Amino acid sequence: MSWIKQLFSRRRLYGELSEEIHVHLEEKIEELVADGMSRREATAAARRQFGNVSVTEEEGREVWQWPSLESFVADVRFAARTLRKSPIFTAIAVLTLALGIGANTAIFSLVNGILLVPLPYSHADKLVSITGSYPQGALVAMRQQVHSMDVAGYAEGHELNLTGQGEPVRLSGTFVSAELFSILGANPELGRVFEPGEDIPGQDAYVILSHAVWQQRFAGDPSIIGRSIAVEGMGRQVVGVMPADFHFPSTKTQIWIPLHNDPRSTSAYWAGDFMPVIGRLHPDATMPQAQTEIRVFQSRVGALFPWAMPASWNADVSVISLQNGMVADVRVRLLLLLAAVGLVLLIACTNVANLSLARAATREREVAIRAAMGAGRKRIVRQLLTESVLLASIGAALGLLLAFEALTLLKSLLPADTPRLMDVHMDWRVLAFTAGLAILTGLIVGVAPALQISRGALNSSLKSGGRGEAVSVSQRLRSALVVGEIGLAVLLVIAAGLMIRSFWALSHVNPGFRADHILTARITPNQSFCSDSVRCLSFYRSLLDQVQSFPGVSGAAIVNTLPLGGRVTKRSLNIEDHVDPSGETAPLFWLNIVTSDYFRVMDIPVLAGRGFTNADISGAPVAVITAETARRYWPNQNALGKHIRLLDDTDWRTIVGVISDVRAYDLQSNTPKWIQGTAYVPYNAAATLEDKRVPSEMTIAIRTAAHESQIAALLRERVAALNHEVPVSEVQTMNAVVSQAVSTPASTTSLFVAFAAVALLLGIIGIYGVLSFLVAQRTREIGLRIALGAQRRDVLILILKEGAKFSLAGISVGLIGAFLVTRWMASELYGVGPLDPVTYIGVAVVMAVVTMLACYIPTRRAMGVDPMVALRYE
Amino acid sequence: MKNREHRDLFPGALEMMILRTLKRQPLHGYALAQYIKQSSNDLLQIEEGSLYPALQRLLKEELVKAEWGVSSTNRRVRIYKLTAAGTRHLQREVSRFEKMLDGITRVLAPGEL
Repeated sequence: MSWIKQLFSRRRLYGELSEEIHVHLEEKIEELVADGMSRREATAAARRQFGNVSVTEEEGREVWQWPSLESFVADVRFAARTLRKSPIFTAIAVLTLALGIGANTAIFSLVNGILLVPLPYSHADKLVSITGSYPQGALVAMRQQVHSMDVAGYAEGHELNLTGQGEPVRLSGTFVSAELFSILGANPELGRVFEPGEDIPGQDAYVILSHAVWQQRFAGDPSIIGRSIAVEGMGRQVVGVMPADFHFPSTKTQIWIPLHNDPRSTSAYWAGDFMPVIGRLHPDATMPQAQTEIRVFQSRVGALFPWAMPASWNADVSVISLQNGMVADVRVRLLLLLAAVGLVLLIACTNVANLSLARAATREREVAIRAAMGAGRKRIVRQLLTESVLLASIGAALGLLLAFEALTLLKSLLPADTPRLMDVHMDWRVLAFTAGLAILTGLIVGVAPALQISRGALNSSLKSGGRGEAVSVSQRLRSALVVGEIGLAVLLVIAAGLMIRSFWALSHVNPGFRADHILTARITPNQSFCSDSVRCLSFYRSLLDQVQSFPGVSGAAIVNTLPLGGRVTKRSLNIEDHVDPSGETAPLFWLNIVTSDYFRVMDIPVLAGRGFTNADISGAPVAVITAETARRYWPNQNALGKHIRLLDDTDWRTIVGVISDVRAYDLQSNTPKWIQGTAYVPYNAAATLEDKRVPSEMTIAIRTAAHESQIAALLRERVAALNHEVPVSEVQTMNAVVSQAVSTPASTTSLFVAFAAVALLLGIIGIYGVLSFLVAQRTREIGLRIALGAQRRDVLILILKEGAKFSLAGISVGLIGAFLVTRWMASELYGVGPLDPVTYIGVAVVMAVVTMLACYIPTRRAMGVDPMVALRYE
Repeated sequence: MKNREHRDLFPGALEMMILRTLKRQPLHGYALAQYIKQSSNDLLQIEEGSLYPALQRLLKEELVKAEWGVSSTNRRVRIYKLTAAGTRHLQREVSRFEKMLDGITRVLAPGEL
């Protein structure tokens, strides 16, 4: 028997069945009449003996169907009809759910793309990250001593001049071990990757370009492979071009250059870049094995250094998956966002469930009729759940569109250095998540009303038209839901409040300098140009002289690292007569190399002694330290006149001034944790970095009342006139530098605020809905009270009391919830504790006021009840 | 509703009785119902309606076939006949049932109490 034939002959089959049953009943009736019954009695008896005709027909038909599928389709069609019949309810519910599901989909897309999707490298499960950081020498030793994996290091954020290709440009380069690409398993778009050994001096004059640089600077010319280009004034052969979707370690990198592993230059080899290390486990090796090996290596490597390394260095080194290593910084923030947006959805669900419960009262009759027609409770519940899942699915479809837009917005809102932001797409995982969410949401929304309706229907049946026990149970359920909803909203608003307070505190931190009216720019001659320190210094000096004579410029200075600029220059120092308790002889300092007007231009207060003068350029060696450093090394003493010495220098520098602290690293802290102090030295031939050279990457800071673009144009012109190979980059105001420093908390805070606003809105709608329903239900009672002499004021108090009950219960639930969960936010907060009483009390008061306002309309309606109309009701 | 959910027959019993009855002679639905009722001395409480879904199942599995004919009371009715497959199926089911009954009888037999 072919099922196709079945499909076509079904209609006929169904007709025959009905006819057959009809004939059966007729025959029976006739027989009973013949036995002496009246026709009416006979009909009733025949039907009684036969059982439920429609159920029999349905069962008979189901034999020919794919039963579950077809009754499901029927359910869906019925549900669609029902929803169409109450368009306002449907619209509100769909929009609410679309908002909730859409927001969740968007945030989940981020979580998916950043935390879940495997890295785009072959056998990414074998890639690991070693959590310490190591200089070249240690890395070379690690490569030799560790056998469970291949390792490679990389140093991101080196800036290099590309010259000889039109206007000179500054590129962001990453120095890499020669094995890095083969460990990642990354293939070039053109040419080849580095081969082992190509990071050894003498055979390392190579470079690999990113797709973008290849397109922009070399017009996508394939003949670039094998050609030599001038990077930082040095000829390097282009061996490869990486594909457009290759971003390692981040999207910032424009070119890759081999490390210059030269054991003879001790300081660069052992104290240059402390690099993050990645590894690829050998096929038979496991993570714990690699971990053990690294621990052993770590216990030995200190001895290889030409000086004593502190025991705390990399003491807690471990091996984690590369993926976890790359996204460690954003994990907490993303999960917080996901939790917040999940709460929003929960509130949306509660709201829709509440709406459905309100509708349930009016639907009990409909359902009772269906129960009387022979639908079982299970069948009715299934039908009602189908309806709510359909509702949620429509919401999800709409939400998907919203999420698509929201994701574009999110990607532009999040800081550009968010790892793997490029990997974020709406893929099948996101779609599956949304589909799952739709079903789950539908069930959550539907289960309470479905049970409620079906119970009510089977108990109170067709009679009373809807009062009595079923309704009071429903009312209790709705009250609980609205309390929960307000509680969740309070929780979210508190979280957002904490974020706002934290952000406020952060944006109002005194950074230690005055950012207004300062224009900054990176001026960076090639390193080779600056290997002649006299040439280098005189270039900067003449530039500075010219800039100071620009119209509207009140001062200009040159500095190696701008505060909050994202760069740190570290330098080990000796401190006179200081014995560190940890046995450290040369603490690591942040070395700022500045020209004499720097403190004045940046408006950094000098607390004691003096700032630098032009006399310091060729005078006795001097230094200025920050207040924090002075307190640390000379507590209760005068730091002025004490001495420090740059490691390997012969001359001690006299401390001539103490300046106030500057938030140089980020707005939360003056310096990173691994830096022990901050020193400033004048920019002269003695101001050397670890590589014994004067710094060639300097930033100019210009205090000016003139328009920035005008000054910037003048600056470019002068630099080009002085040396046409020197690029001018990162031209920006100091205010822009500061606001970049808060871009991460700014984006997180604004998302939290958006979620909290939605939550608040939904909460208001929720309490409004419940009170309106309550008033509608009690119209008779209120009318009676008024008829019996109650004053309007009494009615007002009666309804407001009801509202206040919900509001207070909800606020209490929310406060307790916040008390329990906000501790997870602690790492994202600055200057405010997770239990900040101001936020808690403020939010409680605001919520109380707002929810009471939501009671206003229902209360007005109650007060306006006309006793005559109310008593005639029904 | 209740009868349908807790009927006092084991699953497949109704189908077996239908097949057995049809083996004796082809019948239409109503006659089939009356016959089963009478021959069981009204001991089995079957809703007459439940016959029809069962007949549909048998039709689908091609254990019976149906033809439109005219009943003794001159009505256009569908008369059900056993097919060859139906006969085989009935034999199998009856012997299985007898075995089961035999087992149940042994367990319930007095003496061991």
